[in-house]
Amino acid sequence: MTRFLVRRAAAAIPIMLGVVFIVMGTMDVIPGDPAAMMLGQGATQDMVTRLRAELGLDRPLAVRYVEYLGRLLRGDLGHSIVDGRPVSEEIRQAWTATLELGAAALVLTVVVGVTAGAFAAHWRDSVFDGASRVLALVGLSMPVFWTGIVFILVFSLELRWLPSGGRGAWPHLVLPAVTLAIPSAATIARVTRSAMLGVLHEDYVRTAYAKGAHDAAVLFRHALRNAIIPVVTVLGLQLGQLLGGAILTETVFSWPGVGRLLVQAISSRDYILVEGGVLLLAATFVVTNLAVDVAYAYLDPRVVYR
Amino acid sequence: MPGNRMTRRQFVRRSMGSLAGAALASAAAQEASAAPVRGGTLTIARPVDATSLDLFTDSSAPASWVYGLIYEPLVTLDPSMRVGPGLASSWRVLSPTTIRFTLRKGVKFHDGTPCDAAAIKFNFDRTFDPKKPGIWASFAGPVKGLQVVDDSTVDVVATEPFAPLLLNMSMVHGGMVSPAAVRKYGADFGRHPVGTGPFKFEEWQPRDHITLSRNDDYWGEKPPLDRIVFKVIPDDSARMIALRTGEADMVLVPLVDQLPALRRDPNYTVAGTVGTRVVFLSLTLTQPPMDDVRVRRAIIMATDRKSIQANLVQSAGTLADSVITPTTFGYAPMHLESRYPYDPKAARALLAAAGYRPGAGGALERGGSPLVLSMIGSRGRYPKDAEIAQAFQAQMHDLGVRVDLQLPEYPVVINALRTPTLNVHVLFSAYGNLTGDADFTLVNCFESDQVPPAGWNTFRYINPAYDKLVKAARVSLNAAERKQLYAQAQDVLARDVPAVPFYNMDNIAVMRSYVKGFVPHPVEYDLRVAQVWLQK
Repeated sequence: MTRFLVRRAAAAIPIMLGVVFIVMGTMDVIPGDPAAMMLGQGATQDMVTRLRAELGLDRPLAVRYVEYLGRLLRGDLGHSIVDGRPVSEEIRQAWTATLELGAAALVLTVVVGVTAGAFAAHWRDSVFDGASRVLALVGLSMPVFWTGIVFILVFSLELRWLPSGGRGAWPHLVLPAVTLAIPSAATIARVTRSAMLGVLHEDYVRTAYAKGAHDAAVLFRHALRNAIIPVVTVLGLQLGQLLGGAILTETVFSWPGVGRLLVQAISSRDYILVEGGVLLLAATFVVTNLAVDVAYAYLDPRVVYR
Repeated sequence: MPGNRMTRRQFVRRSMGSLAGAALASAAAQEASAAPVRGGTLTIARPVDATSLDLFTDSSAPASWVYGLIYEPLVTLDPSMRVGPGLASSWRVLSPTTIRFTLRKGVKFHDGTPCDAAAIKFNFDRTFDPKKPGIWASFAGPVKGLQVVDDSTVDVVATEPFAPLLLNMSMVHGGMVSPAAVRKYGADFGRHPVGTGPFKFEEWQPRDHITLSRNDDYWGEKPPLDRIVFKVIPDDSARMIALRTGEADMVLVPLVDQLPALRRDPNYTVAGTVGTRVVFLSLTLTQPPMDDVRVRRAIIMATDRKSIQANLVQSAGTLADSVITPTTFGYAPMHLESRYPYDPKAARALLAAAGYRPGAGGALERGGSPLVLSMIGSRGRYPKDAEIAQAFQAQMHDLGVRVDLQLPEYPVVINALRTPTLNVHVLFSAYGNLTGDADFTLVNCFESDQVPPAGWNTFRYINPAYDKLVKAARVSLNAAERKQLYAQAQDVLARDVPAVPFYNMDNIAVMRSYVKGFVPHPVEYDLRVAQVWLQK
């Protein structure tokens, strides 16, 4: 197990190197000069040139790449080129906000998605099954920015139950978390349903029933435990979806997370900040996928790591 | 037509009146009788957060709206664009290059340190440091620096005679920061701003909100409010909803489409004024056939500017009749409606004179090659920018001219604006006059030596006669003479048509009707909420 973890962690290093290189390269080739953007409409070319030199933008990409990696090794993500503040600090603030939102959405996704999927399989072709399948389809089809605005209109403006945006006490979290969770929960419900259908006809399920176990006990202890592997795999991928969807959700609900930080950094061409942010997102993705792999062993004793 | 002329103040008053309607006028009359109510928090929603609250670094509107309440310049510019006392109680023009300011005595920064001549000197040295100038230095004009005469007297000196010098000293970006705080916080000063203004910095949660609290020791008229919270709500619809749920009391950059309904609703007040930004087409004169004035005149005559204003821009702005707005010093109407009325037939005749005849399918061509114009525009940068660009494209199509329109991301547009060799015929652009003086736009955008990358003459407009006029106006200290020179300069531009002006952008704020005492400012960086109160 330890060897497996070390090997996987080592494999993440080239991935992160690649991510940094791609992000730096992309920021380099997309048009739009950070210096010109910062100086605005009063600036002369002279000032732009000077600022470019000061920011180190006049040096070749390869030099900046190596330098960045050197700093990274020392745990330094660099300083924002726009306001000179440490990137790690900027990201830390935004990151806690995004994690809060993502964790809430993940919990909702798992609880709602798995429960709905399990019961839909159990009561196959019932009204519940039909309704949950239709809802899953609708949930998957609605873009989050649209769902978000509709939720705000209904729950904030009409009913006045929940705040329309911003980060604060727990009521602020409800609408964005639900909005973000809907497409993922729909996916998970569908995957859980089909995985459950596959195991509900197995002998051990029939045996459990024969021994007089309750519906819920059979479903969640015997069937789900065996059906969960593909669900966990999809959940790992959904986490990426959650991070991606967070950019839109954060915009609609004025949530001060890493998604908005990135959008703002990209439009001001603050490449150091963009690199730090993307690096963190990539790291999260790599770590969750590792966690998913480890979770297999816990869920299925037949899985052995070498 | 002297009968049709109005002064700038008349115009401001009239445009404010027409924007807000009679209801606001009566409300204003009531306000005048009601005394401001002390206390409360005003929550203002805006789409973008500041990146820094240090005016050395960030000159954007979302930042200056906030730090305009924290820092104060030597002199101030009131909403009718008159210069009044600020940190300086009086001033005297000593020479065409020097103004002497007498500082207010006993003014203290929020950290308790004195705002004296030495502190002002520190600010000028910081901003106009030739090695690492502050952002204000890029648009403050030829400022050389500041000389201390005594503890409460300073001279601001320009490198050459410069008429708008006093006006420039009134810009929000020229506010004074606490030298002690700059030394204490260093690079982090932008997160710990300290000035002399009516409000003090309290808290900043990036991308969420900035809170300011009342400066109880303010030297001037103390503000009625306890707190002002600037919230960031990036989504346009969500921002308008926050106003309706009461989560925000005031919305900046409102959704233009919702303004007519909000104006009718007694629960809201829509306050606006003509700003100092003009949205226009920049025709590239070095790019044939744009070098032919007949082609440029044909283009403006085939563009239905009035209809674009009435149907697309609507209440986001008024029909522009120059490259500067009526709230800018030196404005003179170009009379474009009578000079170049919308007349596609006449436009076709002009193009025929330039050698363009309809070919197969009605497209105009000369010597077998069709008349095709390349064009770059922005989307969502200015109200209805992409829609106007597309309407222009359609109107050119009716004329028989094909326009290849690109609407890339804004940083790409900015790059195009700054590029030395521009191979695009038409740019959809806009220019905001930061100082409220014609000099800023008429020099930066149209003088010969301002061709990019040096300045913003994206038109590549080279006209020595024009240069002479704006240069003379820059050094003259006689306001009447300057006005006359600028009128002549605008007349020259009207004849040469380097630009097709569309609209003067309005600065609009929507608020709940219990928000009282707000007066919109023509300069979009200037948000006057220090004396606002809540009449709940």
